[in-house]
Amino acid sequence: MTSSPDPSQTELAADNVPSRTPAIETHGLSKHFGQRKAVDGLTMSIPAGTIAGFVGPNGAGKTTTIRLLLGLVRPSAGSATILGQLLTHPERFLPCVGALIEAPTFYPSLSGRTNLEVLAHLGDYPRSRVSQVLELVELSDRAKDPVRTYSQGMKQRLGVAMALLPDPDLLILDEPANGLDPLGIIQMRDLLRRLREQSKTVFLSSHLLGELEQVTDWLVMLHQGKALFSGPARDLLDRRSELVVEAEEATQLDLVARIAREAGYTVTPDNSSLRIACPLDFSSELNRRAREAGATHIVIRTKEASLEERFLALLKGEHE
Amino acid sequence: MMRAFRSELLKFRRWSVLAGSGVMILATAFIAYLTFHQITSGATGPELTPLIQAFPTPQGLITVVGQARSLIIVIALIMVTSNIAAEWFQGTLRNLLVREPRRLHLLSGKMLALLLFVTISLALTLAISAALILVAAHAQGISTAAWTSSEGMRTFLSFFGNEVLCLIGISLLGMLIAVLARSVGAAVGIALAYVLVPEGAIAMVWQEGSRWFPVRVLNFLPGSTFPSAVGPTPPQGYTVALLVALLWMVGFVVVSAVVFRRLDINA
Repeated sequence: MTSSPDPSQTELAADNVPSRTPAIETHGLSKHFGQRKAVDGLTMSIPAGTIAGFVGPNGAGKTTTIRLLLGLVRPSAGSATILGQLLTHPERFLPCVGALIEAPTFYPSLSGRTNLEVLAHLGDYPRSRVSQVLELVELSDRAKDPVRTYSQGMKQRLGVAMALLPDPDLLILDEPANGLDPLGIIQMRDLLRRLREQSKTVFLSSHLLGELEQVTDWLVMLHQGKALFSGPARDLLDRRSELVVEAEEATQLDLVARIAREAGYTVTPDNSSLRIACPLDFSSELNRRAREAGATHIVIRTKEASLEERFLALLKGEHE
Repeated sequence: MMRAFRSELLKFRRWSVLAGSGVMILATAFIAYLTFHQITSGATGPELTPLIQAFPTPQGLITVVGQARSLIIVIALIMVTSNIAAEWFQGTLRNLLVREPRRLHLLSGKMLALLLFVTISLALTLAISAALILVAAHAQGISTAAWTSSEGMRTFLSFFGNEVLCLIGISLLGMLIAVLARSVGAAVGIALAYVLVPEGAIAMVWQEGSRWFPVRVLNFLPGSTFPSAVGPTPPQGYTVALLVALLWMVGFVVVSAVVFRRLDINA
């Protein structure tokens, strides 16, 4: 995949979250297989023009949700709209949707190009589009080779090319980084950012939470078919942020602990420091109030929780 | 539907698809030549007698070439069943349905292409086998005037037309089995088992009823173009057999369409 000239955008782009019509909106969406509830009353909203991460442990219902959104399986209950169209009419929105579901699948004895041409004929896209997407994922030089000779990473890139074929407004990718080497992952990240710059929406399911943290500006966390969280990624991470307060004198730490508790935050003593679970912007107020109370020799550091930590905390909370 | 048809045509480049056609051509030519050799070498026996009697007549060529008819049916059934079931097995069906969510359009376009492929394979098979037998006959100084007469040609075309009808019915049966089984192994196994076992077994105990069964009634159609001693001629008459065959075809299409439209695609 062609690299973007600006690979340094690693911060969450929460400020860029646009407030437009949702690209995906579900209300109580459910899918039951017999007694098993694969998706259980899922309600979420993905704003258009965002990269939305879709995370959850194995068996949480991510792939079933994606299949529901693509009209491959029928919901047992609930409703959804994709690009403003009802889920019950996939022919209205799927021409504007590209998808890579689980491991990409192809006809192994056909070439990469022919595999894409099969889908281009089906979607009525021009043949030139096949060349464009092959170029985009840097597979042009191997396009005539049978897919059975491709490496895992090449198949993955061909899968991404397949998803990009309709020049989609909404791209649904299920584990797109599977089998990619580190360079491929960086290129994938750049590609996703470029798509966002083109106001396209990307719905991205992945187990690589560190990767998601770098590109997503919206998050949906799924557990046992239900959304544990659906909203701006920044909101989720802020909830788990910590202030670490250090001081040489225990009395000063006691003062700070009292101020934090009075403000309603949980304080955990840790050797010669305190950990305070609170929003990061509380640090300036804490510093001011501590000085007013006489605690003048303290050091306040901020500690931002990773998506992985936040994810595990949410899961733990769910189990408890 | 035409988009699905054109898309399907591209997939015929696969060696596994072409191999089915190749096996049909080679096996039919081999069996036809074997039959020709048996007849011309002076072999005798109760099974050969009707063939020997038909050999010099305008129906002689199709009698020889048509000996592989059951094999052609089996190969066509395997080709269609495995082709459709493989979309589930390989997981490619989900790619297709994302690009063409109107499921009946996809299935009908795919079937149209498969039927075209089966028909072309059959045409090549019969043409090559017939050419082989004509060359072999000329080489041995056997007269082929009756075979190439206008009546001989009409008989040949009638056989081809009825064989095409038979294979359309068999292909639609294959489509139904593939849609229900959704796995190559299971679909081909069920299809072969059905063609080879139940209808024959039931015929042994209930001959009157078995004449209405799908494979049997479809096989009556090309069988009706052979001399009655070679057969199988439809005991219910050609027109009735044709109507029943069409009813079976409609049934296969309707059930396949209803099931395919409602299926969850989890592959």
